Amino acid sequence: MESLEYIDNYFKGELDSEETVRFEEKIINDSAFAEEVAHYLSFLQVAKEQADEDKKKRFRELYQQDKNVNTRGVLRRIWPTVAVAALVAGVIFGWYLFMQPVSAKQLADRYMQEHFQTMIVKMDAKTDSMQSARNLYNEGKLLQALKHFEMLIQADTSNFEAKENAGIVSLRLQHYDKAMNYFKQLESYTDLNVNPAIFYQALTLMKRNHKGDAEAAKQLLQQVVDKDLVGKEDAQEWLKNW
Amino acid sequence: MRMGTANSFNNSDREIIEQLRQSGIDRIKSEEQLFNRYIYFIREGINKHSLSEDDAFDAYSDTILSGIEKISNGTFEGRSSLKTYLYQIFHNKCVDLLRKKTTNKHSVHRTESITDKLLHVSDTAKSVIQQLVDKSDWNLLKQKLNELEEKCRQLLTMWANNYNDKEIAAALTYKTADVVKTSRLRCLEKLRQLYKTT
Repeated sequence: MESLEYIDNYFKGELDSEETVRFEEKIINDSAFAEEVAHYLSFLQVAKEQADEDKKKRFRELYQQDKNVNTRGVLRRIWPTVAVAALVAGVIFGWYLFMQPVSAKQLADRYMQEHFQTMIVKMDAKTDSMQSARNLYNEGKLLQALKHFEMLIQADTSNFEAKENAGIVSLRLQHYDKAMNYFKQLESYTDLNVNPAIFYQALTLMKRNHKGDAEAAKQLLQQVVDKDLVGKEDAQEWLKNW
Repeated sequence: MRMGTANSFNNSDREIIEQLRQSGIDRIKSEEQLFNRYIYFIREGINKHSLSEDDAFDAYSDTILSGIEKISNGTFEGRSSLKTYLYQIFHNKCVDLLRKKTTNKHSVHRTESITDKLLHVSDTAKSVIQQLVDKSDWNLLKQKLNELEEKCRQLLTMWANNYNDKEIAAALTYKTADVVKTSRLRCLEKLRQLYKTT
């Protein structure tokens, strides 16, 4: 086991430069030692592969859960219809989902699913009003969370983070005018080097989808691209595929 | 200049990257969060690349595993968004699957970790080691790893996942990092004995 410890110390970078040179010379001159080093690395590799397999098993469970949720949603929608009509509706519905061009609303929904499902609560943060509001958001208590963020804005009208979060919660609650109002207020913070104001306004219009909103959203997304603002990569992709 | 705060998209990338570089239960949750975040890639693999569901799942899982490794070891530099970076990897894996290069792909992937470890070794020594490693009986090694007692197996898989001895001590309730190191070397010795005596 001593040689294993020696090999382990080498790969952890714990040998000094002279010892490192001696280690590498020993590999070249001592075939039994070289074999032990090769074994050490092979054990590492196979343990890594096993760890990856364990992770993939977890991922498979997560994927199955995700599929089950989506399947239940579809069945709920087609259940009331006659069984044959339900089968036909299922085929047509599947064709519609996968063959039609992606709509602005779908793009916006996908973005919100990726980015707005939870708010990060730092593990070592002291409990304060902002963290409490985020916790409420993460528990799905959106109205209460919005109330908390709005109280923070009342207490300090320059609170960027509270306005941003209030806008996001309003968007999720489909209070689009309120969300637009908060995101427009974010525009005035010109000293920020990461300000999603314009991008979030475009997102809100894409979700609201009233007459004229789609065109206005495209113009905002083009602004994001031209001025290299936050959301540029998504904006570019959406403008291509929309 | 003030930085934008949580939930602007640059920061959400940054947050998940920071969490993936942590250890213990937080990192495991972050890995699952990352997997769930872009899970719709699987559907795109089926629709755009005409892969079977299993192949699309494999391509996506391997993408996430690769992403986790590159983020943890600092290779991902953040020049593009996380989504763009991962989608590029996913796209390449889908193309590889379609071209059915599984044999070659498998052998390249197999020695990735070893190649990293041998980065600073002299060329002559590297060549000696590589030839010996290539002779390993991987199926037998995997079988012997799974014959070890559960705690050894957990310890070695965490070690292979780049958890340091202190992090392993906290996760597996060993007393100290030194105890972990001793235990890890004993487990490696047991594995060596099992492998050599077959």
